[in-house]
Amino acid sequence: MYPRQIKAGEPARKSLYLGSVTLVLFLWLLPLLAIILTSIRPAADIAAGDYWGWPSGFDLIANYTGVFTQTPMGRYFLNSLIITIPSVIGVLCLSTLTGFVLSRYRFRGNTLLFAIFIGGNFLPFQIMMIPVRNLTLDLGIYNTYLALIIFHTAFQTGFATLFMRNFIAALPGELFEAARAEGASPLQTLIHVVVPLVRPALAALSILAFTFIWNDYFWAVVLSPSDAVKPVTAGLANLKGQYVANWNLISAATIVIAIPPVMLFFFMQRHFVRGLTMGAVKG
Amino acid sequence: MTECHRGMTRRRVIQGLGCGLALSGFGAPAIATQRELVITSDLNTGQYAVFREIVADFGRRVGVRVTLNNIAHEANKTAIRNYLVADPPDICFWFSGARMRQFVQLGLFADISELVARQNFAKPLGPLLKTVSVNGRQYGLPLGGLFWGLYYRADVFARHDLSPPATFEDFHRTCAAARQAGLIPVSMGTKEQWPAAGWFDHLNLRINGLEKHMALMRGEMAYSDTSLDPVFAHWAEMIHDGFFLKHGTSYAWQQAAAFLAQGKAAMMDLSNFIQGAMPADAVDQLRLIRFPMYNASIGPFEDFASNSIHIPARARHQALAQEFLGYFYQPEVLAKFIAPIGSVPPRSDMSPGDNPLMRTATELLRASQGTSQYYDRDTEPAMARAGLNGFQEFRVYPEREKAIRAELDRVRKRVYAPA
Amino acid sequence: MKTLWRRHRCWLWPVIFLAPGVILFWGVIVASSAQSLAISFFRWDGFGPMTWAGLSNYVELLHDPQFYTSLKNNIIWLVMFMAAPPLGLAIALLVNQQIRGMRLVKSLFFMPLVMSQVAVGVVFAWFYDPTNGLLALIFKAIGATAPALLSNPEWVTVAVVIAALWPQVSFCMILFMAGLNNLDESQIAAARVDGAKGWHMLRHVVLPQLRQVNFIAIAVTVIGALRSFDMISVMTSGGPFGSSNVLAYQMYEQSIEAYRFGYGAAIAAVLFVVMAVFIAWYLHRMLRMEREGA
Repeated sequence: MYPRQIKAGEPARKSLYLGSVTLVLFLWLLPLLAIILTSIRPAADIAAGDYWGWPSGFDLIANYTGVFTQTPMGRYFLNSLIITIPSVIGVLCLSTLTGFVLSRYRFRGNTLLFAIFIGGNFLPFQIMMIPVRNLTLDLGIYNTYLALIIFHTAFQTGFATLFMRNFIAALPGELFEAARAEGASPLQTLIHVVVPLVRPALAALSILAFTFIWNDYFWAVVLSPSDAVKPVTAGLANLKGQYVANWNLISAATIVIAIPPVMLFFFMQRHFVRGLTMGAVKG
Repeated sequence: MTECHRGMTRRRVIQGLGCGLALSGFGAPAIATQRELVITSDLNTGQYAVFREIVADFGRRVGVRVTLNNIAHEANKTAIRNYLVADPPDICFWFSGARMRQFVQLGLFADISELVARQNFAKPLGPLLKTVSVNGRQYGLPLGGLFWGLYYRADVFARHDLSPPATFEDFHRTCAAARQAGLIPVSMGTKEQWPAAGWFDHLNLRINGLEKHMALMRGEMAYSDTSLDPVFAHWAEMIHDGFFLKHGTSYAWQQAAAFLAQGKAAMMDLSNFIQGAMPADAVDQLRLIRFPMYNASIGPFEDFASNSIHIPARARHQALAQEFLGYFYQPEVLAKFIAPIGSVPPRSDMSPGDNPLMRTATELLRASQGTSQYYDRDTEPAMARAGLNGFQEFRVYPEREKAIRAELDRVRKRVYAPA
Repeated sequence: MKTLWRRHRCWLWPVIFLAPGVILFWGVIVASSAQSLAISFFRWDGFGPMTWAGLSNYVELLHDPQFYTSLKNNIIWLVMFMAAPPLGLAIALLVNQQIRGMRLVKSLFFMPLVMSQVAVGVVFAWFYDPTNGLLALIFKAIGATAPALLSNPEWVTVAVVIAALWPQVSFCMILFMAGLNNLDESQIAAARVDGAKGWHMLRHVVLPQLRQVNFIAIAVTVIGALRSFDMISVMTSGGPFGSSNVLAYQMYEQSIEAYRFGYGAAIAAVLFVVMAVFIAWYLHRMLRMEREGA
C-alpha cells in the first residue's frame, strides 16, 4: 500500500501520526462544528447575533424533533431513498458498460463520444429546466419518482462515464490480452476481470453518485411539486420561510440529511482495499 | 403553448414510450377520485400547520379528499412556472399586483370575478380589490398583508432619550442623537438587496407621491427624471451623515436585525415578520411607526405587500376550488390563517387581533391614502433585478448616482420596449 | 442467426454495451442541452411564444459590464479551485492507513461534501460577519478591526471561494482514495527496493499511476468552479452589486428571476464554450499521454 503503512511495532510513530491527523481533522471540521453548535442552539441566540458563543440553552431535542414535526421529513426520507437507490444502481451499471467500451475499444468517434459525456456536465443545469420538464411531460412521468430517477441517472451517467472510463483505462493492458487469449467474451471479461478490479472505484462512484442525487434540490423543485414525491432537501428548504429562516432547525436538518450518505461512505470503505491481486485474476 | 412546437411524430413516439413507463408502475401518478381538491401552498412552517387544519376541516365539511402539498416559499417561485403549465393544482399561492398580472396575461390564472361578486368581497376588501384585479376582473384573493414601516425598541429609545420621528426633520434629529449615543441609527442589511429598494420606495412615496411612484414602476417615467433628484439627494445625505449600518452588504436582514435585538441599533425599516427573528423580550419592546413624512400634503402612502391565493386556469376542479375559496375567505377562518405570522388582515370586517404591532400596522394602513406593494413586486421582474442591484450600489456609493440611474434607464428602455 | 452473431460479435458487443448509456444520456441530457442552447437565439419569458432574436442576446451580453465582472470572477474561481486536487490528494495520503478508527476519520473528512450548501454558506457568512463573526471576534481580541470581506468588491469572491473549496477538497479526496487503491503494488514494491521514497516516490512512481484519477479530479474541479452557484446564492446573492457574480449565477438571475430565458441561455452558451475549450485541451493532453504510456 502507498503510503507506507505504520506497523504495530512503532508506537511513537503511531502517536505522532494520530496527533497530526487529529489536528488536521479539527481544523478541517471547524465549520461542521459550527453547524452542530447551531443545531443545538435556541433561536434567541441567533436572533441576538450570538453565532459563535456557547449556547445560552440546549435545544438539542427540540430542534431535532422540530425537523420531523414541522415538516413531513419522514415521508421525504422515504422518497429520497426510492429516488436515489435505483438511480445509483442505474448509474453504476450504465457507466461501467460505457466506461469499459470507451477505454478498451478503439473505434472512430470514441474520443468524440467520450467528450460529449464530459460535455454534458458543462451547462449550468438550471438552464435545462424547461426542456427537461417538457420531456417528462411528454413521457407522462412529470411529478413521479420516475421523472427524477430517469433524470438523475442520465445526468450522473456523464460524470460516471468519465470516472469509470479512466479507472478502467488505468488497469494494465496485459490483463485484457490474457483474457482474450483464453477466449473470454467481452461480457465475461467485464464481469470477471474488470468489475473485481475496479471495486474501489465502484465504491467511490456509488458514494459520489448517491451524495449528488441525495442532495439535489433544484430538480426536485422543477419535477416534483407534490409532497408524495419530494426528497429530503425539500424538508430542509421548508424551514427557510418567506422571510425568516430558522437557522437552528436548518442546521439540525442539515445534520440529519447528511447521515445516510456518511453511513454509506463508512460502510463502503470496506471495498476501498484491493479485492484481488493481479496474479489471482490471471490464474 | 408555443414552446411545444415540435414534430408530432417525435412527440407521439415519446408519449407512446411514456405510456409504457407509466404502466410499469413507478411512474403512475396518483389516480384522481371524483371529488378531489389539490392545493399547492408555499407557506412558512407555522402557517402551514394552521392551514393544514383549515384544509382538513373543509374536506370533512364538504366530503372531499384534499391533497395539500407545501413547497418552500422561495422554491415555489421556480416550481410554479412548471406546475402551472404542466400539471396545475386546483389552488395555488402567489403574489398580488404586478406579479399576478403577469400570470393573468399569460392566461394562467382563472377569472374568479363571479365568486367575488356572489360573496360580495368587494366591500370588505375595499382598495385591496385593485391588487387582485386586471381590467376590472378578479383573479385571486389577497392574504394577510405586510405593512412596511420603522421599527424601534421602546426601552432603547427611552434609555437614550430618543423620540420617534414623525417628519424628515425629526428623523434627521433622531438619527443624529442616536449616533451621539453610540447607536447605529438605522440597521439595514442589504445582502438580500431588497431592503435598500424598500428604502427607495419610502422616500419616493413621501417625496413624489403614489401616482408618480407607480408611473416609475410601470416604466412610464425615467429614472433620470428630475423629480427623482430630491429622492436620491436626501438618501445620499442620510448616507453621508452615517445613518446606516456600516458594511451593510455583509449582512442578511436577519443578521442586521440582531443589532436591534442587542439594543445597538435604533431603528429598522421592516415589516411584521421582524417578530419572528427577535427574542421574545425584544418583541415586547418593539414599536412600529410610519416612515417619516416629507410634506404633510403628500400622502401618507405606504408599501403594503400581500401574497394571494389563486385558482389556476387549467385546474381540474374549478367549482370545488371556488367553493374552497368561499369557505377559506370567511373572516373567522382567515383570521386563524394569518394569526401565526401576525400580518394585517385583508378584510376590513376582521378584528386585527391582540398583537399590538398588528394593531398598529392595521391602524396605519387604514390611515393611509393609498398603497404600493414593494419595489420588486410593482415593477417588471427584469427591471426589478437591475433596480435591486442599483439601489444596493447607491447605498454604498452614492457618488455613483448618475451612472446608476443611467444604467437603470438603459434597462427600462429594453424591458418596456414595445414588443 | 447464430452465424450472424458470430460474424458481427466483435463490434456488436461494444454497441450493446454502449447503447443504454448513450441512448439515455443523449435522449435526456444532450437533447435538453441542445434545446437550451437553441433558446439563446430567441427572446422568451419561459411561457409564451418565442420570438427569433438572432444574435441580439449575444450582442447585448458583449455590452453588459456585468458579463465581464462575472467572467473575471469565474477565472478567480477556476484558479483558486485548482488547489482542491492537491489538497484532496494530501488528505487522501494522510488518511490512507489501516489503523483502527481510520474509517471514522475518513468519514469525517468526507462530511463537507454531504452538508447542505445552504448551511455551509450561512456558517461561513457568520464567520465573515464584520461585527458578530468569528473573524471579527478574533480581530477584536487582538485589538484590530476585521475587514468586511463580503462587502469588499475586491475580496468578496475570494471569501466565497474559500467556503466553496471546503466540499470540493472532500470530493477530490474521495477520488484519490479510490485511486490510491488502484495502484500497481508491484511497481511500488520495486521502487521501494530501489530506495525510492518521499517526494521522489510520489512524483515519479505514484503520480504517473494516478494520471487517470488526476484527470477526473481536474475535470470535476473545472466544472465545479465554472458551475458554482449555491455558495454565491447563499453568501452574497452575487453582491455587493454584482461584484461576486459568476456566469452560472448570472444566468440563473436572468432566466429564472428576470424571466429572460434567451439571455440566460446565451450566458450558458458562453460558459459552455469556456469549459469546452479548457476540457478539450486537457483531454487532448491526457489521451496523448495515454498513447505514449501504452
